[in-house]
Amino acid sequence: MAHLAHYKEAHPLPFVITHWVNLCAMICLIITGFLIHFPVPLTMGIARGIHIFCGIVIFINCIVRIILAFFVKSAPTGGTRKVVKDYKTWLPQKDNRHQGPQWVKYYLFMKKDHPLSAKLGVPQKLSYLLIPILIILMFITGLCLWTPTASSGFCQWCLGLVGGAMSMRVIHYFGMYVFIIFMFIHVYLANVEGTEPTKLMFFRKEHGGLVYDPDKHVIVGEDTLDGKE
Amino acid sequence: MSESTATYGLVDVLAARGISRRSFLKFCGTLAVAAGLSSAAAPRVANALETELENAKGGLFPVLWIEGASCTGCTESFAQIETPDVGKVVLELIALNYSDVLCAGAGHSLERAKEETIQNGNYVVVYEGGITQGFGSNTLRVAMETGEEILVHAAENAAAVIALGSCAVNGGWMAAYPNPAEATGVSAILKKHGIATPVVNMPGCPANPEWLMSVLVQVLMLGGAGALVEGNIPAVVSTLGLNDEAKPQGIYGQTIHDNCERRPHFENGEFVYEFGSKEEELGYCLYPLGCKGPQTKANCGVTMWNNRRSWCIQAGSPCIGCCEANPNDPGDNWVEVNTPFYKRDRDLHIGSTFFRPTTVAAGLTGIVAAALIIHGFGMKKSGRMDGGADFEKVRAWDAKNPDKAIGQYEYSVMDGDPVKMKAAQEEIAKQYEVAEEASAEEEGR
Repeated sequence: MAHLAHYKEAHPLPFVITHWVNLCAMICLIITGFLIHFPVPLTMGIARGIHIFCGIVIFINCIVRIILAFFVKSAPTGGTRKVVKDYKTWLPQKDNRHQGPQWVKYYLFMKKDHPLSAKLGVPQKLSYLLIPILIILMFITGLCLWTPTASSGFCQWCLGLVGGAMSMRVIHYFGMYVFIIFMFIHVYLANVEGTEPTKLMFFRKEHGGLVYDPDKHVIVGEDTLDGKE
Repeated sequence: MSESTATYGLVDVLAARGISRRSFLKFCGTLAVAAGLSSAAAPRVANALETELENAKGGLFPVLWIEGASCTGCTESFAQIETPDVGKVVLELIALNYSDVLCAGAGHSLERAKEETIQNGNYVVVYEGGITQGFGSNTLRVAMETGEEILVHAAENAAAVIALGSCAVNGGWMAAYPNPAEATGVSAILKKHGIATPVVNMPGCPANPEWLMSVLVQVLMLGGAGALVEGNIPAVVSTLGLNDEAKPQGIYGQTIHDNCERRPHFENGEFVYEFGSKEEELGYCLYPLGCKGPQTKANCGVTMWNNRRSWCIQAGSPCIGCCEANPNDPGDNWVEVNTPFYKRDRDLHIGSTFFRPTTVAAGLTGIVAAALIIHGFGMKKSGRMDGGADFEKVRAWDAKNPDKAIGQYEYSVMDGDPVKMKAAQEEIAKQYEVAEEASAEEEGR
């Protein structure tokens, strides 16, 4: 057994919910987005309705998630029940320092052993921090294409910035592929070394493993979840 | 243009041409609607026309129609107005003092007429076509003046310039890739030369003649464009209802899609996927065939063409978005952004290499997916699938910099043995030293 123990503290309930909302909304958005771009008979009305609804939901969810990060506490690393304010786990942590290149080396098979890390590794942090920016960008580009909002001053300004509605559509369309690529990588990396992280994220199912001390930044023991540490 | 025209009332002129007061008012109502007003404004329009024409200096309101880099399609479209027609009558009451295409006169006499009109002031310029800046603008040379000089000279003293057609707005066809003639629109040229004459942008390929008519009438309603001359630009803008791109909002405020007669089929998901199919026969929505209606702003579906007889969509063609023209952005040019016409999105290009957005995006996604699958085999081969590799005993950086180490390894019970731990730490540090020496040697060579 090589991985750290998976405790509920890593993913508090509010974040499990926002993650579920993200997943459902994103899948609906991608499917309906394709249906709008490559229309099939009879689906346009409902596809547009769901697309606009989910677009608003994912944006609100993103904002809620960002705000919650300042109020809800979560574990700064795997293998611990200690908690800190969640936003701190998104910023550079001492556990991450100098470990970025090590992660890249590990994934490129140039490093044999698993790098020590915080809850989120360096590449993970960077890509996860991009997602809220992307969601907001997709929301804005979406508003610029949606008739009720497209003629607002802000959307007109954005449209002028990118060179018109067609360019905005192409950007919105490319943005979806960025999400698809992110999802591929995200799902792959989350599950390639075992499905325990997924079970924890979606169903809050804990799993035993090594114990990590976030203050000493080292592995300090093992927890088999049989009541004794 | 004769004085007798001015001394007779408009009603008399119309009556002489067999047009009743009733049909004149009906026409004014149409113009009002095309101009974005309520049809209740018809009497106001009629009054403006009558008063303006009766009081006009020299009898008629002078208009100079200048051709730039154009196909004269806008003139052609304009000339297709049927006769006898109220619209034609009204336009005959406007003094078209100069038109390359329509004027019977030519040569010095025509140029002199133009020059006199410019000196007298209070006229409107209708500019059709793009302006080529390349080749010293000599491609548009007429009467010893280059294209740019002609526009600048005519615009300087004008009450307003109407940029008619997409080419005049931002270059249109003329400015499409690779644009060797460096064509651009009227606004850009006037801005370049610091001329503040107001511009009214009326894109379209061609622009609908009734749109031009409605704008000319609105200019008349402003009192011979007097307000423009007085420099009360904000008042003019609000009266003409121009948007940020100086287009009349009543005409260019909504999309083709908003007022499309096939819109219900779009909402129901009933589409034409192929020309000649049963769906086409049923008059379904042309969206999958590349209709640019959802993003093109114009009221074609309301005004229609050829005296409200039909329009592109009714005739069975997807909208090709000919009214897309941003005067502030030559790149937002309808030919540039709307081709290929029968595809949902534009072609992109890097240099002279063109590609489809879907090809690039789906291709990239496919490459990532393939890379992940290959990576997965690597993970399996290296035995990392089951919980990943074992953790490093010491962070690589810590091993190199033991004095600044992040982890407090003396507490570590890795393998349950602090002695083993320390040995491991030293071992890794030694490996790094060896590696560093090797690389230093490499560099030395």
